[in-house]
Order: sequence, then C-alpha cells, then structure tokens
Amino acid sequence: MPVYTVSNVQNLRICVVMVGLPARGKSFISQKIVRYLSWLSIKSKCFNVGNYRRQGAPRPSAEFFDASNEEAYKIREHAVTQAVIDMMNWFADEQGVVAILDATNSTRQRRNWVLKLCRENSIEPMFLESWCDDNDLILRNIADVKTSSPDYKGVDPDVATADFLERIANYEQVYQALDEAQDRDLTFVRLINIAQQVIINKVETYLESRIVFYVMNLHIKPRYIWLSRHGESIYNLEKKIGGDSSLSPRGLQYAKKLPELVRESAGNRDLTVWTSTLIRTQETAQDLPYKQLQWKALDELDAGVCDGMTYEEIEETFPEDFKARDEDKYEYRYRGGESYRDVVIRLEPIIMELERQENILIITHQAVLRCIYAYFMNVPQEESPWMSIPLHTLIRLEPRAYATHVTKIKADIPAVSTYKGKGTSQVGESDSNQRKSAHALIDSDSKK
Amino acid sequence: MSVDGSVDLSDLQSPTLNAGNHMARTRRRWSKSSQDQPTKPSALADGVHEDIDFDFISPGQLYSTESGRLFHAGKILIVLVGLPATSKTLLSVAITRYTKWLGVRTSSFHVSEYRRKTMASMDCTSFPNDYFSAKPTTVEGRSKRKHILEKVQEDMIEFFNESKGQLAIYDALNILVEERLHLQQVFSRMNTKVLFIESVMTDSDMIKHNVDMASQSADYVGWSQKDALANYMHRLKVNRELYEEMTPEEELAYVKYVNFGERLIVNNNHFGYLINKIVFFLMNLRNKKGCVYFARCGTSTNDNYVNDELLNSAGIEYSKALTELVLKVVNERRASQSEPLPSLVANSDAIPNSSSETPEHKRSPPTLQVSSGLSSRSMSPSLSPLLTTRASLQRTESTGNAAMRQPVSGDGGDDDSFVVWTAARKRTFDTARFFYDKGINVRQRSQLQQLHPGVVADMEESEVRAKYPEEYKEWIKDPYHYRFPRAESYHDLAVRMEPLLLEMERMRGDILVIGHESVLRVLYGYLMACSCPDIPSLTFTRDELIEISFSPFENKVRRVPIVYE
Repeated sequence: MPVYTVSNVQNLRICVVMVGLPARGKSFISQKIVRYLSWLSIKSKCFNVGNYRRQGAPRPSAEFFDASNEEAYKIREHAVTQAVIDMMNWFADEQGVVAILDATNSTRQRRNWVLKLCRENSIEPMFLESWCDDNDLILRNIADVKTSSPDYKGVDPDVATADFLERIANYEQVYQALDEAQDRDLTFVRLINIAQQVIINKVETYLESRIVFYVMNLHIKPRYIWLSRHGESIYNLEKKIGGDSSLSPRGLQYAKKLPELVRESAGNRDLTVWTSTLIRTQETAQDLPYKQLQWKALDELDAGVCDGMTYEEIEETFPEDFKARDEDKYEYRYRGGESYRDVVIRLEPIIMELERQENILIITHQAVLRCIYAYFMNVPQEESPWMSIPLHTLIRLEPRAYATHVTKIKADIPAVSTYKGKGTSQVGESDSNQRKSAHALIDSDSKK
Repeated sequence: MSVDGSVDLSDLQSPTLNAGNHMARTRRRWSKSSQDQPTKPSALADGVHEDIDFDFISPGQLYSTESGRLFHAGKILIVLVGLPATSKTLLSVAITRYTKWLGVRTSSFHVSEYRRKTMASMDCTSFPNDYFSAKPTTVEGRSKRKHILEKVQEDMIEFFNESKGQLAIYDALNILVEERLHLQQVFSRMNTKVLFIESVMTDSDMIKHNVDMASQSADYVGWSQKDALANYMHRLKVNRELYEEMTPEEELAYVKYVNFGERLIVNNNHFGYLINKIVFFLMNLRNKKGCVYFARCGTSTNDNYVNDELLNSAGIEYSKALTELVLKVVNERRASQSEPLPSLVANSDAIPNSSSETPEHKRSPPTLQVSSGLSSRSMSPSLSPLLTTRASLQRTESTGNAAMRQPVSGDGGDDDSFVVWTAARKRTFDTARFFYDKGINVRQRSQLQQLHPGVVADMEESEVRAKYPEEYKEWIKDPYHYRFPRAESYHDLAVRMEPLLLEMERMRGDILVIGHESVLRVLYGYLMACSCPDIPSLTFTRDELIEISFSPFENKVRRVPIVYE
C-alpha cells in the first residue's frame, strides 16, 4: 500500500505537450516540472526533440528551420517521431506518469497527431504554451540559449543571435497559437508573457492543477538561496540523534562567524532567514541581522522511539530496524517517527514558497537539508539520504535557467562529523564513504 | 518498517531512558477521554459568515503583521461579475472560507442578503420588481437599487478602514461596464486593488441546475414551483439583455471563470502570490455532489503515541460497524438524490453506445472471479457495494473511447466516487480494511499523521501541569498556537494539511476521513469555518459518524450514531 504524495495517480498518465516559438522558456519550464515531480516521487521525464534532431543535424543554420525546406523537414519529422516513440516506450516499460514533450509543436496538425497518439495509448495530453511578445524577455532568453545550446557551440555570439532570430522568424511563418475557440476541447494552459495572462482550459485532475500552480509561481529573476546546518550541538558531540539541545562552544563560534560569511557571499542584498523551531537552528541564526521566520516544516526528521539515542544504541536495541533503514533509507520510517519520504511531503509548501521568493537563507538540519538540496540539484532518491552535508559550512545555490550553481563556503571552525555510512553504526567520514555519498555535492562544486 | 509490528517498551533496558522526549512518550497517554465531554454547540454551525474580531487570527495563518494584512498584498476588493444563476454566491463563500483560513481578513458582502433584509422590513408587495434588473425602469426601482448598492459599498469601505479588513468580496451582478469602472475608480482611489471574477455559464445543464436551486431559495418560500421558476427566469432574461461581458479593453484585472472551472482566464495578473493561490483554489473548486465523512480510528490496546499498534478486538468490531454504516448512509443519500436509472445489467441497450469497440466483458453480468482483494481497485459498477449512478454509467461508456478524455478512477473526480483517506499508521489503516476488502479505494496520506505531542506525549493533563508548569500555563492561554517543546501546535498541523484541503475541494463524490481526533478537528475547522480557540476542543467520539454536506451559502453537519458491541 503506497503512501501518496499528491492525490492518487494510479491509472493516470499525462503528457505535457509544450507549445511555443524558440526562446520562450519551454525547456526551462519542462526541466522545472520534471525536477518538481521527480522530487515528489512522481515518475516523470522530459523528451527534448532538439536533442533528437541534433543526431541528424548537429549544428544547422536558420534555413534548416524554414518550413519549405523539405530535406530538413524530413530530419525534423524523424526527430519528433523518434522522441514520441521513446516516450511511449517509457510510459509502457517504466510505468511513467508524467512525460514532457519539449518541442515547438507549433502547428495544429502536429498537435493533433500527438493528441491522437496519446489517446490511443491511454495517455492524457495537456498542452502548455508559453507565448511571449515582450522583446526584452525574448532577448534575455536568446542570450541564455546562445551560451548554453549545443547548436551554437563555438559560434561568435553576434552571429549566433542573428541566426537564432532568423530561426524564430522561420517558425513564426507556420506558428498557430492555441486558440480558445478552436482548441476548446483540449486540456491546455497558455502562459502569456510568463504569467501576466494565463488561460487554463479543462484541467481535470489534481495533479494537472498542481503542475499549473507550480508553473504560475516560477520566476526567472536572479537570486541566491543559502543553506546551512545549525552549528555543532551538544547532541552532536554526544553522538545522539534528534533531541532539542543547545549549541556546543564550537557551534556558538560558528553562529558568531555566520553573519560575516553571509555578508561576504551576499554583499548588500537583502535576504530573509528561515529556521526550524528547534533551539539549535535559532541559536545559529541569533546574530544574523536579517528578518527571520520559523517554520515547523524545517524541523529535523523525527526519529520516533530512537530520538535521543546514538546509532550504536539503536543498532543494539532495534537491530532489525537498523538494518532495514540502511537497506532503504528513503522509505524507512522510524517507529513512531518519519521517513525521508514523509519529510519531502511536509517540505513541499517550503519548495513552492522558495520558488516564488527571492534571496533566502535556510538554517536547518541534516536530513531536511538533504531533501532541499536534492530538489535543487536533481539528486535521486537512492542517493540523497546518503549525501554528506558537513557542519559549519555555508552552501550557496544560484538557480539558473538550465542548472543550479553551487558554491561551498567553509567556516574553518572544527566540528564533529555526524555522517554515518551504510552498514556501520560509527559516525565519521571514511574516505570511500565520502567519495561515494558526497557525489552530488562535490561534483557540482568542482564544476563551478 | 518494523518487523513484528509492535514492541513492548517496558522491557527495554535502554540506556537512554532519561532522554526527556523518549521517556515522556512512553508514559501514559495525554489526552482526556473525549467521550464524556458534551459537544460544543458553537461548532455546529458554519462560521463562514461570522464577523471577525479585531485581533482575529485564523487557523492556517502563517504570520501576522502590524497592519493585519498578509502576503504583501495590501487591500484587495474582489468583485463578482455575472448573471443570476452563475454560482456567484457559492464562489464568494468558498473563497471567503479559504482565504479566511489562510489568515487573510476576509468578508463577503452579498447584495441579496441586504435586499432580503430590506424586504423583510417592508411590505413585500410594494418592493419594486424591476429592482432585479441591472437597469431598473421605474423611479422606485432605481432608487431602491441605488440605495441598497450604496449601503453595501459603504459597509465594504468601513470593513477596510475600521476593521482592518484585507479582502472584501462583493457578491452582486456587476454586469455593466459602467458599474465596474465605478468600483475600480472608487476603490483604487482608496489604495485598494480591485480584482474582478466573472462567472460565465454556457453549459445549459449547469444553468438549469442553478435555476432550479434558485427557485427553491428563501426568496420563493410559499410560491408554487411554477411561479417561482417563471419569476426567476424573468430576472435572468432582463439581465441577459443588458449583460456586457468583460473584455481586455476595459483594462481591468480579472479572472474569467467559465462553466464552474472548465476554463479559467487570468488577465493582468499583477497581484502575485495571493491571487495565484486563489486561482489554484478555483482550479480545484468543484460543485460537490457527495459529502465528507469523519470517523475516528478503532482502538488499540496500549493507545500510546509512539507505538504503532494494530487494532484490538473492540477496534475491529468498531471498524466493521463503521464500514456497514458508512455504506448504508452513502447509499441512502445517493438513492434519494438520483434520478431514476435504467438497470445496468438487464437493460444494457439503453446505454447510448458511442464506442463501437466497447469490449464485451464490460457489458456482461458480473463474474465471481473479481471479488478477490487483489483485483484492480477500479471495479465495474455492478460489483461495487455502492449504488450505480448516472456517472458510473457514463464512465462505462467513455472507457476505451479515444475521442474523449478518459475517466480517472480513484481520485474522487467523479460524482459517484468514494474514497477513504487514512493516516499512515497501522491502526488507522486497519480501520479502513473492511472498505478495502469491498473494493473501495483506500488511500494512506502521510499528511493525516496526528498532531505530534512532543514532550507531553501520553501524559495526563495533571501530569503535564506538574512537570511543565510554565509550558502548561502558556498552553492554557492559547491551545491552538502554543507548541510544547518538540511538539506541533494545531497551527503547525493545519499548515501541514493544507494540500489536503485543496484535494478535498476537488473531489466531487464522497470522502471518508479516518483519523486521529486532532486531524479531524483541523479538517472540520476548515469546512465549518471554526475559530482558533474552538478547534482544539472540538470533540469526535467513536459513537458518531460526522457527515458534512455542501450548499452554496453554508455547509451543514449531521451526526449519525455508530452502534457496535
């Protein structure tokens, strides 16, 4: 009997069919939706037709996208067919729930073709159009595309911009926007100039409405999110989990140093500090000169009967549980307590709020940070509960259109390690553990 | 998960027995037996129309501000626009319920209520009948209309200026461009943003349903059905001729709400999060046919917070009785609501056959093989323990028809759906077992986890007073917001459960929620718009099933006794 994150999705399969000219943020929206749903354990995947097209035409110029170019049209046709076939196979073989077909899907004919294929396979299509006539916005998107798209690798930026504008013009020739009258029987959403005007037609399930609400809350203003664990606590020193203890002397030292670290990283930006309701996060935040908000949802994973024990004690008292948790750490729910999945469910409103906010500093706990970090960095469930997030380290995330950039700032104040690897009750990071578990954090860090 | 299902903590020689939280939790349960407390009478009525006090704080409110306004949104006036019979009152009441719960100081102003008051104070026969037109033709009609509308607007201004109001909802026709422009000007001058929500209905079934409902309203007590209908249709007709639908040219911020949420158009969305939330709410709001039922879970032996126990024998008896009762109540209500139906099996020709490919087995009488508990949860209607309704027939018809949206089983979207929600605890889920065995959809929702009692888990109130005198004092002062060390407050619980409220709004059929008393209090508190001080002392016993039914102006509660050994 599964526990549902959002309403029952049994027998429900949705294909979000993106619609829109190039440089309208379709890929950005697609990736965000996949990230959000995957994080909620709803199996989802994005099928980007551009990637399929590049197999046949790696770096085409603008003429390639002229609708009258028959040769090229065949290659494009082939790409979309290939993407749709893979998508259908994914639904069938991997029990997919939400697929995103990321392509321009600019003609009604193409959309009807997708619609028919979906329905024949018992998949409900939801068309999601991003329409924009705000030139500044389009140019900003183009700037992003020419720096990140493989189509323009090594091309002079000005040449790339000119070519891309021509490509858009070619699409405009045949583009048919979704229409309230002609498409009234379809489930569709039109976002006009991000979300200044939104048309929502025949949204029939809770899951679809959640996707729409999420998309409506996205913004693309530049901003940072800082994450930190609380300073080292008394319980950390005693190797106990849970509890509501105060900071150790070294933890207090971290709290003293935190304002300086944040200022160096944030400059003059204004920000809001979010803490949990537990003493150790509030003590950590006590010297920060910013507005503060306490969230119950940021409290540490509840260890139930094991609260206040050391891992050694847990292994001794509940050997079966100790083993079960190591085997499936994401799903294991402490007796009378929580699992990682439970924490993700209670964090969902926090993520929604984070999406619409600007600069935020979150001071919280190991398990909660793992979950938040996993959302921004697309860390899979099997891995996220094993990530090492050391004490006395400030992490800065910079969400960008296509990826999140990470910077790690060490406070240079010693602290115990609270990391526990698989199959041991000892805390501390052996080299091999660290390399394996900290994969996500270290990797993206070095990329930066 | 744990291996043997339960653990006897008294046998443990745990070295951590003096860790405060752990020890506290293994003590006796702290929660007075609610059976001997009388039900709070104030909680029986829907509080959605009650005035809000000056220092009002609502169940789901995340924070409070000096000005009393939230979401950085300032003062907002929502103006309903639309012909009679377009569910404007339902929309304004539903939005009021939700935003009030979120902590926005909201009040709805129904012109029809003002008009009824005026009528009650005078001789009804002298009330000008052309009042009901947006442009009355007689002097009398015009002056009466002007008088009443002005009074409502004065009250709204007073609500903003004198009562720290943040959101006023104005429920009137407002079908003329000129009226809307006037409101926009008056209120934007007072630094209040104006958002119009226009309800448009083109679906003739929906209009018919609404007109039928209206002709049975308080306005037509003592009228014959025929006369009432004729009178109301006249109101509709005169206004339809005058109606100026909203267009972007008016340059107003508006949401067009077509056929009860079939389509939503958000225009000039500069309001940010609060309006996005309202749009999300409107996306999920459905006209409900079913009811929401609340029941406690069955009993277990030790009844500890931290133990995840199975039901004891009394608990199992209770669960059986509950299953029988709920199915009986639901079926009785459905039978009384539904129009006569063709019998599914004997009369299958009567079902319009739009799909030539409908597989044979869908039409044939039930076979025995399906009754195993392992079979698919979506059952053919004739096997369900629930009565067949028109919706189930329509579903049978559209299944497998590629030209239509396919029905989604199990998430409560259909009129005739029935879903049981339980917490993820063993005994709560166990209580739903007999529903599950009958092929009913049972969903475990971790958001239904009971209020976390923290350090005072499993303590008697006297024990709490002795051990945590300071905390106890604070708790007595504000039992809704006070959070014991390591515990959740009711407020925390409400915030955690918000996504479920939205899902509940979307479900059109029946829902049974089996949960801990704390969880039922919060859900009930939302549906009946209870105040914060009331919610922690609402009582739900194992002797009663609670039924909440929906109507446009208010929700109603019925209590049905549960009898078991």
